[in-house]
Amino acid sequence: MTSLLSGRGLVKRYGAAYALAGVDIDIAAGEVIAIVGPSGSGKTSLLHVLAGILRSDEGVITLGGQRVDQLSETKRSELRRTEFGFVFQSGMLVAELTAEENVALPLLLGGRDRAMAIDTARTWLGRLGLAGKEARRPGELSGGEAQRVAIARAIAHRPKVIFADEPTGALDTKTGHATIGALVEAAKETGAAVIVVTHDREIAAMMPRTVAIRDGKIEQPVAA
Amino acid sequence: MNPLQLALRVLRVDRRTQVSTVLTALGVAVATGLVLLLTSLPYATQARAERTLWQHPTGFTESGGQVSFASSDDQVDGQVITRVDVAPLVDPADLDLPPGIDRLPAPGEMLQSPELAHLASTMPASELSDRFGAKPAGLLGEDALMFPEQLVLLVGHTPDTMPANAYQLPELAAGVAQPDGLLTLLAGVGVVVLLVPSLVLVASASRLTAARRERRLAALRLAGATPAQVTSMVAAETGLAAVLGAVLGVAISPVLHSLATWVPWGGGTWFAQDFILPWPIVVLVAVAVPVLVVGAAVAGLRRVVNTPLMAAGGHTSKPLNKGRLLIVPAAVLLFFLTLSMAKDSSAALLPLLASLGFLMWSPTIVGPWVTSALGGFFTKVWRKPSALLAGRRLRDDPKAAYRASAGVVLAVFAGSMALTLMPSLESEAGYYSAYRDSVLYLSTDAERAPAIVDEVDDRLERYGLAARAAQVGEVQLKQGEEYLQGYVVSCANAEVLLPVSLDCETEPAVYAPSGAALETVSYSTESTPDGGASEKLAPLGVTPVAASTDVVLIDPSLLPAGTELSNVDIAVPADGKSRESARTALLAASGGAQVISKEMKLGEQNSELADLRRVTVIGLVTASVLGGLSAAIATAGSVMDRRRTFGALMAAGTPVHTLARALRAEAALPALVATVGAGALGTVVGVGLFGLVSESVPVFSPWLAAPIVLGALVAVLAASVCSPALKRVRAEPLADE
Repeated sequence: MTSLLSGRGLVKRYGAAYALAGVDIDIAAGEVIAIVGPSGSGKTSLLHVLAGILRSDEGVITLGGQRVDQLSETKRSELRRTEFGFVFQSGMLVAELTAEENVALPLLLGGRDRAMAIDTARTWLGRLGLAGKEARRPGELSGGEAQRVAIARAIAHRPKVIFADEPTGALDTKTGHATIGALVEAAKETGAAVIVVTHDREIAAMMPRTVAIRDGKIEQPVAA
Repeated sequence: MNPLQLALRVLRVDRRTQVSTVLTALGVAVATGLVLLLTSLPYATQARAERTLWQHPTGFTESGGQVSFASSDDQVDGQVITRVDVAPLVDPADLDLPPGIDRLPAPGEMLQSPELAHLASTMPASELSDRFGAKPAGLLGEDALMFPEQLVLLVGHTPDTMPANAYQLPELAAGVAQPDGLLTLLAGVGVVVLLVPSLVLVASASRLTAARRERRLAALRLAGATPAQVTSMVAAETGLAAVLGAVLGVAISPVLHSLATWVPWGGGTWFAQDFILPWPIVVLVAVAVPVLVVGAAVAGLRRVVNTPLMAAGGHTSKPLNKGRLLIVPAAVLLFFLTLSMAKDSSAALLPLLASLGFLMWSPTIVGPWVTSALGGFFTKVWRKPSALLAGRRLRDDPKAAYRASAGVVLAVFAGSMALTLMPSLESEAGYYSAYRDSVLYLSTDAERAPAIVDEVDDRLERYGLAARAAQVGEVQLKQGEEYLQGYVVSCANAEVLLPVSLDCETEPAVYAPSGAALETVSYSTESTPDGGASEKLAPLGVTPVAASTDVVLIDPSLLPAGTELSNVDIAVPADGKSRESARTALLAASGGAQVISKEMKLGEQNSELADLRRVTVIGLVTASVLGGLSAAIATAGSVMDRRRTFGALMAAGTPVHTLARALRAEAALPALVATVGAGALGTVVGVGLFGLVSESVPVFSPWLAAPIVLGALVAVLAASVCSPALKRVRAEPLADE
């Protein structure tokens, strides 16, 4: 298996406490994995370090064979904007914007023109079952719908990796499963790898591969 | 746990509440300080008027007075000198003297203000001290001065050496001192113009925690708290900051007062004690401002008190009624209606002021609608995310977006009005005189005139000036049934002194617009049975030479004997530096008569306009800074409200500067639009008000662009906080809330 995103010896400290205490992890192109663990185990820190939101104190991260852990903040921002997509717990959508505008926003901020950005947004909203709801505001959508808008926003620019941090945390079980299903299906269409951080064992069980983490260390590889 | 304890607990643990409390307290402090300063202005002018009642007494008596009194204004190097001539009519020991004057100067002596004494000691006598015609005998105390640097002198006389225009006073400082009406009016306008942005600043500060507080209170309501309990909690939270702010405002008010003493008004600066307010007023303001702030905070709770679920779950704002648009045209119409009434009758002044107040209030109704419409426009035509974000934000909560600019709108409105009025009034200012602009002159009577001319000429020669004084008598003339103004002056002097162009005859002559026969007119001192005065005519007996002049010029030798002169002027032509010496010669020779010159008349007008311009600029700048701070805090609050979303966008790789650019546009647009609108409305009102006092065409100066500049200033201030606020958001953990 050729690794798309790789972390070696990752260490992240907060004062004297270790959030990551030497983590090795590889994710292949198009692979879907779940990172599971109890609260405070380091799973969100691992996701943030791999995505370049946080800088690790030690260790090496490569994307497509290129080191990315030594990049400047500007370069890492550019990497996150172009190569990665993000889905957060409660969508974190801009309340004043409509669904299609929320999806189009990262494209617009990246310099795409209005027509192209809105067109792409509408396409992805349609694929995620939100056709007809493009003009609704986040406050007018259900929790599951809002998360699907967030997925559309994460995938609209066709990233190589999608990072999802507790994407079902605010949803009921049924809606949560449907949302994860939508995320995995969408990623499959674009060939993106998906890394889902969750504390929900049922959600993790839906993934082909699960990595468990405890006290900042990979506990055991769990086969699919 | 009582509401105050709850408020203190929240304050102890929540950093954002701490920031909000500090900013609210600062806003209240600024508001309290400004209100205390503006309230003190009428008291300050009253204090000035009481100290200087002896210079400008308002009471006089026909007989039995304590003193004979005359006053005149003089000037040196553009500064006004107030001269008071006085002669005791009773035993000096029985005189009632005002504070700052410990004794009346003896005849031939004078008391000077310290600044005048200093100036007189540094200038040549021919340019200043000679004109006083008296020996320095002491200084006037501070309590007798209008302002610290006032140039004033009190000259002692015997009754028979007093100037011709002297009159009797029951005491030296007779009458009732009145505060400066214009400054009192401006202070009233200032309270409105500056209090509004101060309160907007308070509102913006408390808005920083509004969303979180609303959720907390909604949770408390859902948990069973009564509306009264929730209201008490908010009153305690806001009251804590407001009381702290009011105390701070009272504490900083001496600093504001001491700054205000440096701002000239009416020719000079102020004494520190001018601004001392009676303590009941201080207490009233210190109580009223926090009460107002707490009242506003409680009023803002209506939503959470009525429907806690809606507050807890967010809300959708209702579109604003288009009917709001009618308010401004209605207010403008009403204003011009009352304006036309005020042109005909001064009794309509109150309705005019009321309609002006209505007009000033109208933008607060129309502003949110325009803001919403602007937002709607941007959401339709946007090409960049900045326009989209701004448009949606404006459309969603236009009242809040407009509120941040409301204070500036009011200030810009008042400023534009003043900036339209002032250049127009300045264009009206001018010097209208029968003499050429270079001439200085004084008025006296025919009896004293020859001696004054001799004395003036003697002094002019001593000062090395070639110019000489000339008498110009005034006489009324009749030509058929038409009355004409005549000047008794030689042709040679007329050519130098009057704005006429003549071909002088070799012999004494009369020059008139037409050659018909003329008669001089005198009036009987005995009244006719119907109460009038009978005319006595004396033919000139000389055929006038036709000349291109509006008035009749009569050589003194041709004036019929016994003709009554209505006035006699002593005039001296002088240019450049010789003007101060010519002024000195005229004043010294006349014993304190009023000398009139172009620079003095223009100086008075310019001084008043400069005062107005100064307070307008100070008011505008203060309001703009306050407005800018409000807008900046509102912007920071808006970023904080959406911190999780922005945090997520930045985590997803959106550069801070890209997001900041979008937010800057969002913050700047309402301020810019609102100030342009307010500027236009203020200009219209300024034009209307100018029409009340003049029929001339208003002058539009480049200063009218100031509102745009101020709008930009506010926008820049507001926008400047976007980047640091976003950087702060980026530094926070993504899940923090």
